[in-house]
Amino acid sequence: MEDKPIIEVTGLTKRFKGLTAVNDVSFTVRKGGITGMIGPNGAGKSTTFNMICGYYPPTEGKIFYNGEDITNKRAYEYTNMKIARTFQIMKPLKNLTVLDNVIASCYFGHSAAKNRHEAMERAIEVLKFTGLYEKRHVLSKEMGTPDQKRLEMARALATKPEVLFLDENMAGLNPTETAEAIALIRKINESGVTILLIEHIMQAVVSLCEKVIVLHHGEKIAEGTPEEVMNDPYVMEVYLGKKEEQQ
Amino acid sequence: MDIKKAVGVYHRNLLIAIGALLAVFIAIPMIVKTPYIINIFVLVFYISTMSMAWNILGGMTGQNSLGLAAYMGIGAYTVCLVVTKLNWNPWAVSILAMLVTAFIAGVIFFPCFILQGPYFTLVSIAFAESMRQFIINSEFFGRASGVGLPFGPDSFLQFRFTSKVPYYYAGLIMMIAVYAIMKKIDNTKIGYALKTIREDEDAAAAIGINPTKYKVIAVVISAMVAGFVGFFYASYIRYIDPDLMVQAKSTEFVLPAVVGGAAFVEGPLVGGLIMIPLSEFLRANYARVLPGINMIMYAIVLLVVIRFRPSGILGWYMESKFKKFIDEKILKKPSLDVLEQYELMNYGSRKEA
Ligand SMILES: Nc1ncnc2c1ncn2[C@@H]1O[C@H](COP(=O)(O)OP(=O)(O)OP(=O)(O)O)[C@@H](O)[C@H]1O
Ligand SMILES: [Mg+2]
Repeated sequence: MEDKPIIEVTGLTKRFKGLTAVNDVSFTVRKGGITGMIGPNGAGKSTTFNMICGYYPPTEGKIFYNGEDITNKRAYEYTNMKIARTFQIMKPLKNLTVLDNVIASCYFGHSAAKNRHEAMERAIEVLKFTGLYEKRHVLSKEMGTPDQKRLEMARALATKPEVLFLDENMAGLNPTETAEAIALIRKINESGVTILLIEHIMQAVVSLCEKVIVLHHGEKIAEGTPEEVMNDPYVMEVYLGKKEEQQ
Repeated sequence: MDIKKAVGVYHRNLLIAIGALLAVFIAIPMIVKTPYIINIFVLVFYISTMSMAWNILGGMTGQNSLGLAAYMGIGAYTVCLVVTKLNWNPWAVSILAMLVTAFIAGVIFFPCFILQGPYFTLVSIAFAESMRQFIINSEFFGRASGVGLPFGPDSFLQFRFTSKVPYYYAGLIMMIAVYAIMKKIDNTKIGYALKTIREDEDAAAAIGINPTKYKVIAVVISAMVAGFVGFFYASYIRYIDPDLMVQAKSTEFVLPAVVGGAAFVEGPLVGGLIMIPLSEFLRANYARVLPGINMIMYAIVLLVVIRFRPSGILGWYMESKFKKFIDEKILKKPSLDVLEQYELMNYGSRKEA
């Protein structure tokens, strides 16, 4: 079963002035699966996402989506290609209600709602799916981190993506909320959405991902199943080393 | 069925309230005969309309333009020049005026959207000032002394009246029409795009909104409204000069929206109805003692509102007990859930039909 990857990046590199944030990273994402990306702080994970999603033009390298070169696509063209993302630093539409946040998304992307009723119907469906329905009349700035993280996902889902990029969607959540988030991500995946996620919480990565990519100082240092990368001596060193620093 | 009934009652009450308000405005010229007062209402109508034009940029999109008087001026000049030189009908020229302002806004102003935040505002000021300087230095535009519209007997076709009352009604209709358009925009795709851009441009791009495209749309709509007001203004005053486009005029259009509540489509109307008569009253009564008193008041009110009530009068109203009382006791507004269900239900019945 040689499935063609839905996303493929080759030699992705990003240099900010003198700093090389991402250096010659290549990997593939299998259609229908959940792929994880881990690495210490500042490893270049978000920068990689931002390049793939059209926010930063890569200094070098190419991005393919279903075999098509999308390296030069602009960020706002992605939902039309059925790709959606969330942000590590949440970007709720602060002065709009949760419902309006999601309605806004329903109006755009490849299957944009044609009228308000359609947008509203889909928004409510997405809000129920993500567990935000009860809070739909709250201004999004008045919600806590866990709900804002959910809202990030809800807004992305409302564009009906085929591929979803999640950047640290569980950071700052307590164990119960993390478990809920894991369940939600699994549910999204089971509905047919390919997922690529950045996560620091190992429990989440191990339970969700079929494949994990490890970045360190902008370079890919390992790739494989969660068990494989956890037992990789270099990865262990990077993570153990990090632990020692923190103590 | 219950939902339909409850919402029906609410809609009926709302309609009655709006109808009563409208009746008051229709009745005013029949009761008040002083041209001075009628003139103040005409000012309220066209300045509030200009403030709505500002609000689609400043309030809805978060792009503070301080050059709107230039677009109004372009509209007014288009009307005066084409009517006098080519002898076209003013009503037809009003459409041309909108097209010209739309063109100038969309094509010449387009590069300004590379700039963000305060830079956009600065360029909007510079743009307006350079338009004004251009006109002052151009023989064709009548230089500093301006251009006029032909005088003559009253004529609806020429949009020319001796009395101020026809302008009162025309201004009222213009304001209501622009309000209806803005209200519609607020609730549709464009409105959501503009509000998303205001909140966060990256988030907007993430859901598929091209920020530049929608900002241009907002600027063009804003300019077209301003161009039409220019037509109204020129027809009312019948003589225009480059002073129409000075910076102070552009600033004047910001105030009603900010005081009324820039986040609300109704903000410019509420702010305009309060601020413009107040300003005129101060100007009429104290200008001789303290020249510029109305401008000083403008500045103070603006500072106070931004400092203590950034959401404006309507922002206060929305959270007040007063609104709760009106909604529950007078309008009998159903809960948000009921209204929402009604909207969804409506869709179902329409689909079946
Ligand atoms: N716009 C930028 N300009 C300059 N440097 C940047 C920019 N964005 C990121 N960097 C730098 O690139 C490096 C990688 O950052 P990135 O945000 O990709 O890390 P990360 O792996 O997502 O880390 P974290 O786990 O903390 O989110 C960091 O050193 C960061 O300071
Ligand atoms: Mg990051």
